[in-house]
Amino acid sequence: MTQANEKPDAPAAKIGVYICHCGGNISDHMDVEAVRRRAENLPGVTVARTNMFMCSDPGQEQIAEDLKNGTVNRVVVASCAPSLHEATFRGAIRRAGANPYIYEHANIREQVSWVHHGEAATEKAAVLVAAATAKAGRLKPLTPIRVPATRHATVIGAGVAGLSAARDLAARGIAVTLVEKSDALGGQLAALDRIAPTGDRAADLVNELAAAVLGHPGITVLTRTEVIATDGYIGNFKLTLRRRPPEGASTADARYVPFQGVRPPEPSDAPSGELTVETGAIILATGFRSYQPRPGEYGFGEFSPVITLPALVRKMAERPAKGRLLQIDGRPIRSVAMIHCVGSRQIPGIHPEDESGHLNEYCSRVCCTATLDAADRIRRNHPGTRVYELYRDIRTYGRGQEELYEQAARDGVVFLRFEADNAPQVTTAAPGEGFALKVKVADTLTFGETLEVPADLVVLATGMEPNDVSDLVEMMKLPVGMDRFLLEVHPKLRPVEMPVGGIFVAGTCQAPFDVTEACNTAGAAAVKAAALLADGQVELDPFVAEVDVDRCRGTGACVDACLNPGALALVEMEVGGRTVQRAQVTPALCLGCGACVAVCPENAIDVCGMTLGQYEAMVDAILET
Amino acid sequence: MDDHHHDRNFDALVIGGGIAGLQAALDLGDQGFTVAVIERDASVGGKMIRLSKVFPTLDCASCITTPKMAAAAHHDRITLFTYCDLKSLQRQNGRVHAKVVQRPRYVNADKCIGCRQCEYACPVMVPDPEQGGFSATKAIAIPFSNAIPQVAVLDPRHCMLCGRCERACPTGAVDYFQQPQPFSLTAGTAVVTTGFEMTAIADKPQYGFGKVPNLIDALQMERLLAPHGPYNRVLRPSDGKAPDSIAYIQCAGSRDKSMGLPYCSRVCCMYAIKQAMLLSGALPLADITIYYMDIRAFGKGYEQFFQNAQAMGINFVKAKVAAVEAGPDGAVRLHYEAQDGEGVTTADHDLAVLSLGLVPAWDPSGICPLTTGADRFIHTPRPKLGPVQTGLAGIFVAGAAAGPKDIVDTIAEAGNAAMAAGQYLTAMSPSAASRAAVA
Amino acid sequence: MTTASRPKGDKILVLATESCAYPGADSVGQAHSSYPANVYILRVKAPALFPERFYLDCFDKGIGGIIVMSCGEECPYEGAYHALAKRLDRVYQEMKARDIDIRRLRLTAICTVCNRAFLNEVNQMNAVVSELSD
Repeated sequence: MTQANEKPDAPAAKIGVYICHCGGNISDHMDVEAVRRRAENLPGVTVARTNMFMCSDPGQEQIAEDLKNGTVNRVVVASCAPSLHEATFRGAIRRAGANPYIYEHANIREQVSWVHHGEAATEKAAVLVAAATAKAGRLKPLTPIRVPATRHATVIGAGVAGLSAARDLAARGIAVTLVEKSDALGGQLAALDRIAPTGDRAADLVNELAAAVLGHPGITVLTRTEVIATDGYIGNFKLTLRRRPPEGASTADARYVPFQGVRPPEPSDAPSGELTVETGAIILATGFRSYQPRPGEYGFGEFSPVITLPALVRKMAERPAKGRLLQIDGRPIRSVAMIHCVGSRQIPGIHPEDESGHLNEYCSRVCCTATLDAADRIRRNHPGTRVYELYRDIRTYGRGQEELYEQAARDGVVFLRFEADNAPQVTTAAPGEGFALKVKVADTLTFGETLEVPADLVVLATGMEPNDVSDLVEMMKLPVGMDRFLLEVHPKLRPVEMPVGGIFVAGTCQAPFDVTEACNTAGAAAVKAAALLADGQVELDPFVAEVDVDRCRGTGACVDACLNPGALALVEMEVGGRTVQRAQVTPALCLGCGACVAVCPENAIDVCGMTLGQYEAMVDAILET
Repeated sequence: MDDHHHDRNFDALVIGGGIAGLQAALDLGDQGFTVAVIERDASVGGKMIRLSKVFPTLDCASCITTPKMAAAAHHDRITLFTYCDLKSLQRQNGRVHAKVVQRPRYVNADKCIGCRQCEYACPVMVPDPEQGGFSATKAIAIPFSNAIPQVAVLDPRHCMLCGRCERACPTGAVDYFQQPQPFSLTAGTAVVTTGFEMTAIADKPQYGFGKVPNLIDALQMERLLAPHGPYNRVLRPSDGKAPDSIAYIQCAGSRDKSMGLPYCSRVCCMYAIKQAMLLSGALPLADITIYYMDIRAFGKGYEQFFQNAQAMGINFVKAKVAAVEAGPDGAVRLHYEAQDGEGVTTADHDLAVLSLGLVPAWDPSGICPLTTGADRFIHTPRPKLGPVQTGLAGIFVAGAAAGPKDIVDTIAEAGNAAMAAGQYLTAMSPSAASRAAVA
Repeated sequence: MTTASRPKGDKILVLATESCAYPGADSVGQAHSSYPANVYILRVKAPALFPERFYLDCFDKGIGGIIVMSCGEECPYEGAYHALAKRLDRVYQEMKARDIDIRRLRLTAICTVCNRAFLNEVNQMNAVVSELSD
């Protein structure tokens, strides 16, 4: 029941079917040769081959050979999920001098050999190959859409990742607008003191990056600014920003404010109110916030000597003093208990969910080293203060971090290890005991013996949570993982890309990272944006709606159904000497969703590369095979 | 891809064609710069292409690596030079100069069509290093099934010059008289991505490596688990028995001062957990125990992966294994101090895996004036804001060359190195940058 | 077009969105979970593409059940889910008119890691289809 407007291709389709063994991943679970034999007899198939690894060079070469010598003009590869190798095979076809859109993929690994076995797998693979072949026979060569791209990028968030990405892009000659919600540059890095294990001063790092960004003529820095609307598409985004007016008087110079960051100069003519930016690419660097313990979690909010690690770092930095005992808020601290994994590595059934039903099941990556650094600093500067670290696993994985762990142990930090389901308990000490608090812990390093650690101060090594960017997620249609961080397309294949073309992620909006790692992801995101904008135009997939003007009667149903305003419109044109209204597509704006296809009473509109007729042919093949 | 390119001037050199080098080359090439990749092995792909599956997604390693290998090989602006030794890498007059020697494959790469007729004809079986030494290959062979380039290599240590391969070759590509080919390359910048090797465990007599028959290393286990591995299933090497009990010995060659390796190798916890999960799929009845000091599951999705492994019934025992010896019936006997108060304990397992650490694969001394750290990895003087900078202007580093790193972190760092190298080229030579801009 | 035709086959068609449900089905494969082999998954950008008659034609031709696996509220095409839900309401009306059991058509949202939900959906539909073919 193929749609009537499906014109048979002028030269008959000559379909090549290529079936991958995937080194046993497929061939161990089905009879690949039987699938090949059945494919060979399908209408339009001129050749059906198998290969140990279709994605390997010889596999791709086979396709190229068959295309070059005219054996085939349509290609079906049956292999792993299309997310892995569809692009690989389209690339092979293009290199062979053919149009890459004459290609259809049959997913016989993830959706066959890994879920079904034996005859059932062979049968299903044969059916999927037949369906793909039926579609391939109806594929037309397509031309990618080329749209001019604005050589400008917008970076959202001016923490270490955002500053670094902005600096990198500007250095490659791309104009940058750096948007920051707060009134200062530096993000969470500015809230730190020294960065372990190198001992770099956070203030120096923030100042260096801020100076590079503020000093570059190609970078526009907009603090106190939020994105309130987005429009457009890869290469041609339009962002609407809202900028709050400054609170103080205008200043000519940048100013570093401890624990807040660098306040950029505020000229009297600085823009405020609503602004629009035309930009080719967007880098999200919206960062993290420190986990805020629940009231009562390890006595937090209940006993004033229970504080978070960021609070300790700040208190120690604001009143640097040597002396036998550490002083916090004017109190001498004879003993500190530092509890790891607060708000990280939470386990269902053991840890309570937060008010929105979430658990932070992930490791926050930086807290072990940061806690050890603070502990060792206390031991070195205040030899009279005892330090206990209560941990689950010490994760000093990075270069120089294990050495810090050893040094802390040498300097007399005492380590106690607890199990997640038997967490330490913080209680007040009895009046006669001399300490404010005591921490009870079943220490697995001493065979589960329950110890009581006296403490004048309890420090909670709080983890990272992503900043709330639900507004941007909504506006830009961004995917969010179970952990609430932004979810990349693939952690290894496309680690800094969002599924929406032209939008990238950098730093801790994606996952917990330390400064080094945040800089690396920022560079990785910047290099993708730089490559995208390198030549001032972007090539887009041609899977967009196409109107058959011979069939179109100008009913406008498609225009009403269209989900992206501007992508479809009725225009006047001359047909047969009469001026009539016909639908017209703006390809760069078309999402290719097909909402128009379903409503056209004349079957006059279709999405290239995935037409209704192609789907109907696939259904027929599934039923008939 | 063309090993015999005549244009020997490039914008960038990439030293090492593993995942870091491939990503750096692709990110430089995509910006419009020309890139030469110099690889020591006969194929690009590095350690990653030799793995079975990768954590935490359990994607098959080949499926993730092959597209990048193929993309680099087919990239208009990237040239791969494989089977090459780097003799010298120096900066002179604002350019980077490399002296390279291509070792003889005894096969003409331009003529070889990768048909394997030579391999089939060769009568000499040799242990296959690409299969952990568990199975055999021929003295002339394509290095492994998904190698790039698909060019045969003759091993002169085992070849007996019988001439059968030469006669079998349909294109006359076998050349017993091939000589090392020295050549020079110049470029504006270089990215060092020389990666890692596994710890040489022979340094650790307590682990008795080589003498304990069923004690293997983690890379060998990768091959046993790989879909195209030596046995197509997991068997222990001494007698071909399917093991019922498997032990992982963590920090074997990491966090170990007695071996001069005090640092954490960063990937061993996760690869051991991954292998344990794959093993529990391959051998559902086997007991799997991981002996560890701290489980370091710090990356995105890693902790959840670790929790899943515990839920699957994999045993985690907090203990440092002190010594390993051969036990009865091919067993591997572990001596360790248990944390449950029983003092020094022994346990016998059918098969044990050493979770070896990572050491640098390349020592720049005598080749390039790059400095290294106490850990012998390339020194990065600005690890916070410039993690890819080295002590030499215009020479950058990425991946495990600058310290142990997992694949995800390596790929990000390689992107950053490509960004830094691109910036350097822009600053040094606006013409290269403008050429890149219009490419 | 024939009316009142009851599907005879047991083949189940899944229309899976390329950004959510299709990778979700791949994720089930990566986990090596098993499900009935009569499930055929077609990758679609958005199921909003399919007009009412597509579903009815499928049943006429002998498809036993159709599961539309959308992205639900996570849909990358704003408004598409709404349009789809309204359209399926009309399909249900038409199915009733043609005496086709409406359990043969399901609209659901499946994300890229919804392994359990995916398995539930296909197993339930399989149970419906085998019950109805008895």
